[in-house]
Amino acid sequence: MTAVSDAIASGAVGERVWFYANYHCNLTCSYCLTGSGPAVARRLLDPALMVELAFQARELGFRSLGVTGGEPFMVSHMPDTLATLANILPLVVLSNGTLFSGPRLERMEHLRGLPISIQISLDSPDPDENDSMRGPENFAKVVKAIPKLVDKGIKVRIATTQEEIGEEALERLCKLHRELGVPDEDHVVRPVISRGRALTAGMGLSAGVENIPCELTISADGAFWSPFGPTVTNGDLDLDLLISRTVNPLSIAANAAVGLATGTSAGADATLGIR
Amino acid sequence: MAVVKLLETHNAPLLARPFFQDGDPGPIVRALAQTPELLQAAAPLLGTIFGPTSLDPRTKEVVVLRTSALAGCSFCTTGHSAAALDAGLRPAQVRALRGDGDLETAFEDDRDRELIRWVDEMAVGRSGIPEAVQSPIQGRFGDAGLVELALLSGVTLLLNRFSTALELPVSEDTVARLEIEGVL
Repeated sequence: MTAVSDAIASGAVGERVWFYANYHCNLTCSYCLTGSGPAVARRLLDPALMVELAFQARELGFRSLGVTGGEPFMVSHMPDTLATLANILPLVVLSNGTLFSGPRLERMEHLRGLPISIQISLDSPDPDENDSMRGPENFAKVVKAIPKLVDKGIKVRIATTQEEIGEEALERLCKLHRELGVPDEDHVVRPVISRGRALTAGMGLSAGVENIPCELTISADGAFWSPFGPTVTNGDLDLDLLISRTVNPLSIAANAAVGLATGTSAGADATLGIR
Repeated sequence: MAVVKLLETHNAPLLARPFFQDGDPGPIVRALAQTPELLQAAAPLLGTIFGPTSLDPRTKEVVVLRTSALAGCSFCTTGHSAAALDAGLRPAQVRALRGDGDLETAFEDDRDRELIRWVDEMAVGRSGIPEAVQSPIQGRFGDAGLVELALLSGVTLLLNRFSTALELPVSEDTVARLEIEGVL
């Protein structure tokens, strides 16, 4: 057992390590934490580094991986990288679900039978409401893509991000995802978090280290407390949930996260006289 | 304005937060907070060296101010001019250590003169310190004292280059004080 695996077992640190593969996206969602869009800086995470860190994560005691962005499938190597990662630890990848057609869809064949699920965003059963937040034709593209992925034997989850969703709308949404081949246990409804573009737009719930669970998250800018950490507000990376700039070896950030999560950070009692 | 963003309490990374809990920790820490794991490692070293040690504060400020002046670091020279006054150095002595005045006139005491000669060799020398300069200092301070002086001057040089490269801003309040006290 390592200090990390102990912290995971106790629940102080989440069992999953997240990778921010990139920050660019074909969509410009109104509540996007990372302020993503087609023209933003890509901040790519080297796929070889992701694989190396995945092996280290497994060694340290982490039990699963997550890949997010940006839209990860904007990056051409992604299906192959995901297949490699899923052979190391079970994996969930977050996607807007709009790019699964043509050659990209065919390359998803590489993921058949692997312990991987693709979590696709769908925010409303009403196309107009969904598309007002996520962009034109988003609803139509998503409902077209999901059955194709399911047909390829890929597990699909649906994430609904809403400030508030009524009971009737939720019921219609659940009916829809069942029809698309996604069972209830693979549908998550979550609030908008007031960071990134959501903060600028005055949307969502305020959240900080006190109420965001620790899930070690690696981006091109460093290691963060949570996937809600490496957000971008008005073009500037938010650093308040940064743990370390060092990401390799993973143990540096992982042990620091454990220290912070269990209240034993070496910096907690620091005093300085170097103004 | 600094070359890098100097972080503040509201955007201080997690490992850096303890250093902001008593207010503005100053430009060096605010810059180091960009790499919180390095701040966490560097802060205890810097805090120990520049805090209370076996060397008296006046001796330390002679070393730090003279080193900083020779390194051409305006950030450190300004801050430690004020610290030198606080440690008991006279304005004329502070000016002389900054290179604005005659050292022999400002410092009558042999101990001070020997120390300044040693710092001059330490800060700008490219080889060992001449025995004629080193020996009196080792005689006065002993081996442990010499080690601490070398570490103090060496770490000061590190911060001089760090502060100069990142163009850390000089405190306007400190500049105003130095003008009032006749240092500038």
